[in-house]
Amino acid sequence: MIGQALLWFFAAGALAGGVAMLVLRHPMHVALSLIGTMLSLAGIYAALGVHVVAVFQVLIYVGAVMVFMVYAIMLLDVRDTSFTSRYSGLLIPGVAGLALFIGALVYVLRREGPVGDIAPGATAFRVERFSVDFLHEYWLHFELTSVLLLAAVVAAIAILKAKRRGDG
Amino acid sequence: MMQDLVVHGAFIVYAIGLLMTFGLILTWVERKQAAIMADRIGANRAYLRIPFTQIKLVWWGLFHGLADGLKMLLKEDFKAASYDRVAYAIAPWIVFTPVLLVFAVIPFGGTLVPAELFSGSPDIASWFGDRTYAMRIAPLDAGLLVVLAFGSITVLGSMLAGWSSDNKFSMLGAIRSASQMISYELVMGLTVLGLILIYGTVDLVDIVEQQSGTLLGFLPAWGIFLQPVGAVLFIAAAQAENRRIPFDLPEAESELIAGYFTEYSAMKMGLFMFAEFIEIAIIAALFTTLFLGGYNLPWMSDAGFTLPGGHFVPISHGAAVVMQMVVFLVKVMLICSFLILVRWSLPRFRYDQVLRFAWRFLLPLALANLVVTVVAVWAIQGAGA
Repeated sequence: MIGQALLWFFAAGALAGGVAMLVLRHPMHVALSLIGTMLSLAGIYAALGVHVVAVFQVLIYVGAVMVFMVYAIMLLDVRDTSFTSRYSGLLIPGVAGLALFIGALVYVLRREGPVGDIAPGATAFRVERFSVDFLHEYWLHFELTSVLLLAAVVAAIAILKAKRRGDG
Repeated sequence: MMQDLVVHGAFIVYAIGLLMTFGLILTWVERKQAAIMADRIGANRAYLRIPFTQIKLVWWGLFHGLADGLKMLLKEDFKAASYDRVAYAIAPWIVFTPVLLVFAVIPFGGTLVPAELFSGSPDIASWFGDRTYAMRIAPLDAGLLVVLAFGSITVLGSMLAGWSSDNKFSMLGAIRSASQMISYELVMGLTVLGLILIYGTVDLVDIVEQQSGTLLGFLPAWGIFLQPVGAVLFIAAAQAENRRIPFDLPEAESELIAGYFTEYSAMKMGLFMFAEFIEIAIIAALFTTLFLGGYNLPWMSDAGFTLPGGHFVPISHGAAVVMQMVVFLVKVMLICSFLILVRWSLPRFRYDQVLRFAWRFLLPLALANLVVTVVAVWAIQGAGA
């Protein structure tokens, strides 16, 4: 009962954070809503009994990624006029799209019925099992992702350099 | 089900009461200890007068904490012309909440068997049945990771506070706070990694229980003897995370007024201060758990003492529970006192010195410690296999 209520609460939080992230204009507000979404996702994982994933969600996304984003945004010039309007111009299409998406989701879920039992805590997903699974099954995927991230970093630097040369 | 609720409710009330009391008492301890160290009389002005008499209860100035709290609650909540109202309002809470949450996974006592505790009254004993509880709020096996996860959120609050205040002093404080905390978090993580390697678990109760054995036949198997360098690194990094002298760059009063919370007043400012003092207690609790055998005395486990000669002294369950809770509190208080001793002994670093200390001195040391630990653990396990 409590688990179910928490699940709904965090799901609503994640959704609200996601919507706010898309419609707000100010970078810091966007970052804050993203943090809200990340924390809500962690809450969902915890409510489903996978505490390990929840902890890593908070540790990596909020504690590392978002801290750096907020740090960067903090140093932005506050006189920049590009985000003086409170909401994005895509506010109405965005909300309409969300309503459509929720409608589709509800329709599909009603037709298909409940996907499975989400009774939490029946088989505890412990740290050991997480580590073993991670190192046996997903190690290659993880390493490949890190190569992908490296490529993204190189690409970002390349774009910056190209722009500088163009200004030049 | 109901039984779990009762026991965990009791744990939560105890833990919150404990942390609030520590927060309040430490403000007094800090002043009184400073006074003793500087050979002054110190906090001795606040008193309670018993009504209709002239009897004043001074009690070594113990009521100064109370007076402070009242002052902060009753002061005007000055609304600064902040840059961002929402961020300004939530920043103190982002600093304060994770500090409290961290304590949820720290064990403050051994295993509790209510049926054995209430064996005098059969009704209560049978109601509890054969349930046992480890004395901590959240029985998570990822305990140490939870500590690191919540510990990393606090920095967001100080950045938001400094940024939203629209004040250059606040901004400088926020930048300093962020760079310092990110640097020292790395050191802390690497230090803790060595400990995880030795214990082979991140469950804090497991870690405490493994420390109740003996080393070399007579030393208690405490983390501080297994990882002496790690202990020093951990306490240094933790002190830096807590942003207190000698690492109080973010709020250096002679340079930045009050750093990132310059624009805060009344209870909002009180929250920052309170979070800082509670964090001292949290750090002490963590250090106790990881390096000082947690809630156990040397050679002690839930059942009794196993003295170095192999002699076993059993103790009753009630005595063990009370003893473990008291031992935990005493250890935490001693570490708090040590942290305050450091705070009043050392001068403040310069900003570049703080960062150089983290990256050029503590980080290589932590890595070296980790390498030595890895090799030692590998050698010992290889010899065993």
